[in-house]
Amino acid sequence: MNKTPNPPSATDAPALQLRGVRKVYEVGGQPAVALDHASLTVERAEIIALVGPSGSGKSTFCSIAGGLLNPTEGSVVVAGEDITGYDPRRLSEFRQSTVGFVFQSANLVPFLTARENLLVVDEVGRRTGAAARRRADKLLDELGVGERAKNMPNQLSGGQRQRVAIGRALMNEPQLVLFDEPTSALDTATGEQVMELIRSEIGSRGTAAIVVTHDERITRFADRTVHIVDGVLDA
Amino acid sequence: MFIALHEIRRAWVRFALVVTAIGLLVFLILFQQTLQSGLITSFVGAIEHQSSPVLVYSVDGLCNLEGSVILPDVEQDVRSVDGVGVAGRIGQGTFSVRAGGQTTSAAIVGFEDPRVGAPTTLVSGRMAAADGEAVALESSADEGFGLGDTVRVEPGGLELRIVGQASEIGLHASPTLFTTYGTLEEVLASSNPAARGLAPAAIGVIPEGGVSDAQLVERIDRAVPDAEALTRADAVTSTPGVAQIQQSFRLIFLLYGLVIPLVTGMFFLILTLQKAQSLTLLRAVGASAGYLIWSLLIQVVTVMVLGIGLAVAMYTPLSSRRLGGLPLTFQTGAVVFWAVALLVLGILSALVSMRRVLRIQPIEAITGAGVTA
Repeated sequence: MNKTPNPPSATDAPALQLRGVRKVYEVGGQPAVALDHASLTVERAEIIALVGPSGSGKSTFCSIAGGLLNPTEGSVVVAGEDITGYDPRRLSEFRQSTVGFVFQSANLVPFLTARENLLVVDEVGRRTGAAARRRADKLLDELGVGERAKNMPNQLSGGQRQRVAIGRALMNEPQLVLFDEPTSALDTATGEQVMELIRSEIGSRGTAAIVVTHDERITRFADRTVHIVDGVLDA
Repeated sequence: MFIALHEIRRAWVRFALVVTAIGLLVFLILFQQTLQSGLITSFVGAIEHQSSPVLVYSVDGLCNLEGSVILPDVEQDVRSVDGVGVAGRIGQGTFSVRAGGQTTSAAIVGFEDPRVGAPTTLVSGRMAAADGEAVALESSADEGFGLGDTVRVEPGGLELRIVGQASEIGLHASPTLFTTYGTLEEVLASSNPAARGLAPAAIGVIPEGGVSDAQLVERIDRAVPDAEALTRADAVTSTPGVAQIQQSFRLIFLLYGLVIPLVTGMFFLILTLQKAQSLTLLRAVGASAGYLIWSLLIQVVTVMVLGIGLAVAMYTPLSSRRLGGLPLTFQTGAVVFWAVALLVLGILSALVSMRRVLRIQPIEAITGAGVTA
């Protein structure tokens, strides 16, 4: 008897598969192509550095991969889930469960403590209560900011704030974490510490990551470097 | 709840300030509501809290006990209208009296039949039944109108003994006495021996079974052209001056009713604009717009409930005192009405902030635009 092979499960599937993704904005009544037929596969536990100058389409790529934006054309599959054409509500649910973000600025909610900034991910998502509190404490300890759990963001240094933001990004046990210029607001030494931390934390969890940067020095922390210029990937 | 309450806890000074501002504004509304009620009661409480459900004035009496005179033929016509069950004369006059060692003026209301025109809010003693007996306004007790006191009519010297006290039976903001109609005739004769008898100021009427107050009013007005019948409630609001008081206060309430939601709406709009980046971040990490709206609503309701609670806490002790000669009372109905109305207005005032929240795009966490313009 012939057996049909099983389709890959979500855990077997690549962390990210972009196929022919195009994003066109309307600027002053004229179409502007931000991402031009981009195709990229990111395997599980792989760290990709996405390097490109300002206006090259890095943010658009990151937004589409993270479910913040729908593409004009092409398909986006994250951890086996095809999110192409999801409506805003389903994209919110997808972001709650599947991806983590570390942004360049405004990374923490200023009226929440470091610990609460992690717990808020559970609050808007799965609401696991005690399990989430245990996970938040564990993550903060692992990231070296456990003793800062009750501090407000304005009581933390830039490096500590990024560590807390990384903890928040990992809080929902994501398949893919997107880092948007995570070191741009840090001095060189602190930036390198943060990148080493990203490398070790992401690597130890088997999570995939895309680090968007315009700094070539960051690429040594990645498994692979992808360049983007004028919306075109050289993957 | 998580975001909303944590933010209140961390920014408690700004939330305390807006709660205090709302509390003071709501307190002013409640206090002025009580003031209005106290003023109206002191002017026409004797009409509002007497036993007759329908009052018949002379048509040219301007719906006023002072100005109305019921002539004998009109009285006869009113008594004979189909549907009249009980009818009795009500007289009224303002006299100089000696009470508590002071000479003052007092309004005296005389009723022929206690079923039509006697006070309904007796709080101590008993109803005036015999000649020389009177029921006095309770809040005038300290001025020599207490239970067991004797009031002397000047000039003439006729003495009235206070046998009962009733609340909220003031007339023309003066100490007020209710007596039998016969006693009122004696008072008039004593103070003005030249007077030629006492004409009733109004006829109090109770409809017979199966006839409503409004139906009887209509029948009397149709059958007796020289009479103007009013239900008790209409008699209160038709008294000259009452409508003007109510209109003035309505204008004040309207202004407060606009200011409070404006304060709430502006506060939450500024707050929403200030934390636009945080809201964008929350949207990016998966918070739905509904979650953020719900958090905003929790904050609005918390602020309004605390503000109203503060207002009631300030209002309660003040509402049981006297303001000058004006007795104040706790207005439960007003508290409930304003609490519900302001809560609804407060929520409506947050609609602009809600709109701003709905316009937040999660992608702006990356582009850094905050709230879209």
